[in-house]
Amino acid sequence: MIKNYFLRHAQVFFYTLGQLSRTPLATFLTVAVIGITLALPAGLYVALENVQQLARGWEDNGQISLFLKQDLSDADIEKLSGNIRKLPAVSWVDFVSRQAALAEFKKLSGFGDALGSLDRNPLPPVLVVHPAASHTRPEALQSLLKDLRRYSEVELAQLDLEWVRRLYAMLDLAKQGVLILTAGLAVAVLLIIGNTIRLAVLNRRDEIEIIKLIGGTNAFIRRPFLYSGAVQGLLGAVMAWLLVGLGLLILSGPVHRLASLYGSLFVVENMGFLATLALIGTGGLLGWLGSRLAVGRHLQAIEPR
Amino acid sequence: MIEFTHVFKRYPSGFDALRDINLRIEAGEMAFITGHSGAGKSTLLRLITAIEKPTRGEAAVNGRNLTKLPRRHIPYFRREIGVVFQDHKLLCDRTVYDNVALPLIVTGTDQQEIPRRVRAALEMVGLLDKERMLPVTLSGGEQQRVGIARAVVNKPPLLLADEPTGNLDSKLSDEILDLFLDFHHHGVTVLIATHDLHLIDRARRRVIELNHGELALDSGTRA
Repeated sequence: MIKNYFLRHAQVFFYTLGQLSRTPLATFLTVAVIGITLALPAGLYVALENVQQLARGWEDNGQISLFLKQDLSDADIEKLSGNIRKLPAVSWVDFVSRQAALAEFKKLSGFGDALGSLDRNPLPPVLVVHPAASHTRPEALQSLLKDLRRYSEVELAQLDLEWVRRLYAMLDLAKQGVLILTAGLAVAVLLIIGNTIRLAVLNRRDEIEIIKLIGGTNAFIRRPFLYSGAVQGLLGAVMAWLLVGLGLLILSGPVHRLASLYGSLFVVENMGFLATLALIGTGGLLGWLGSRLAVGRHLQAIEPR
Repeated sequence: MIEFTHVFKRYPSGFDALRDINLRIEAGEMAFITGHSGAGKSTLLRLITAIEKPTRGEAAVNGRNLTKLPRRHIPYFRREIGVVFQDHKLLCDRTVYDNVALPLIVTGTDQQEIPRRVRAALEMVGLLDKERMLPVTLSGGEQQRVGIARAVVNKPPLLLADEPTGNLDSKLSDEILDLFLDFHHHGVTVLIATHDLHLIDRARRRVIELNHGELALDSGTRA
């Protein structure tokens, strides 16, 4: 009995594939529209993931610069440095002396000669605090920053990657945007599939009437349409995946060149296994649902005359 | 098998298709329904196949009360009735074999069982050699026989036919009638709506005549 059930479903599935392949152009057009519609949110998702990946790389280098008061002695600085190093949130501390800072500035800024004419070194001594790996999230950095500001020797404490937090906030916003867009486009896919299936139902009106007359249940009549919708949704999702992959392939060259100009080894990543699975699952589900809504509505209207 | 008591059918347009029909057809009986066009023959068949519901009165077919038959039970009810249509209602894009197999597929018949039953039905109507052909390549009489094979493949206890010989010449009509007589002989209840008097004369079975929606004549059970 159960074997029969699966056999029947398999038959309907292959029958559906046959039907779809008999009208290749119509099938392709539907699949292409769904593919492009799904590729949009999928592409944006991949782009966001990549930006986030990039930001995470910077965040790992997150460090806090402590500009100390000018009049501190080396011993004072040594003591402060030792105290900070003992904090659990801190991995290690670098000391940049006034002289070293001046030398570096001369070298990098190109104002070497102008600085030489100053009678005293205007730069303060700096402690560069590297947070421990467990404290790289923006909130943890923020609380560490607050702690460091309490030291009286510190003139100014600055989180170098303040803008990473802003980027994160923007990414969160963008994610919400993608979510809203996805919801809207999901409805679009439902409508596309719904319309395709509606036409298929009307095209096979006579057949449906006959099947109803010889005792076919609504579930039986619905089944091939549901398979058809699900298969087209699935194929659409596969096409979306291919489109995103193609887009990334085209972009990966320029991105790599741009990244290397910044001395980064960043490479664009395609969506992961789970995201791919989610995309394809969503495609199939939307196809099934759109078909279900359309068939349910139109099946009622077709009664034998 | 069929029992109508004071059945009325009024269509939404206000047209009274059937008025106060009292009718009883026993299991294993064979009867003809006749009458002029618009007398209510088709409406009677539509009530029996649960396409329409009676406006008033009680109608029972095969032990089921049609006035109270829930929508979701209709498919299962129809599986016990074989219907032959004047226009055959075959699926043009499927072979003769697939057309006849359809009722078996609809009812979820065991896969091994289907070919045997389809071929048995095709053999009865003498079309075993045409199972791979499409209906459009067959003659009108052959198409009607495919329709009959489809109607009986499920071995229903009740067989209905709506003008089964409407488009056929008298020789082909006789062949079709012989098929129905044969089914009747095997215990199937057969009800044929027709205005083909030649057919009725030849069969010499019960005749029920409708006139403007009313029962005008019932010859009673013959033979």
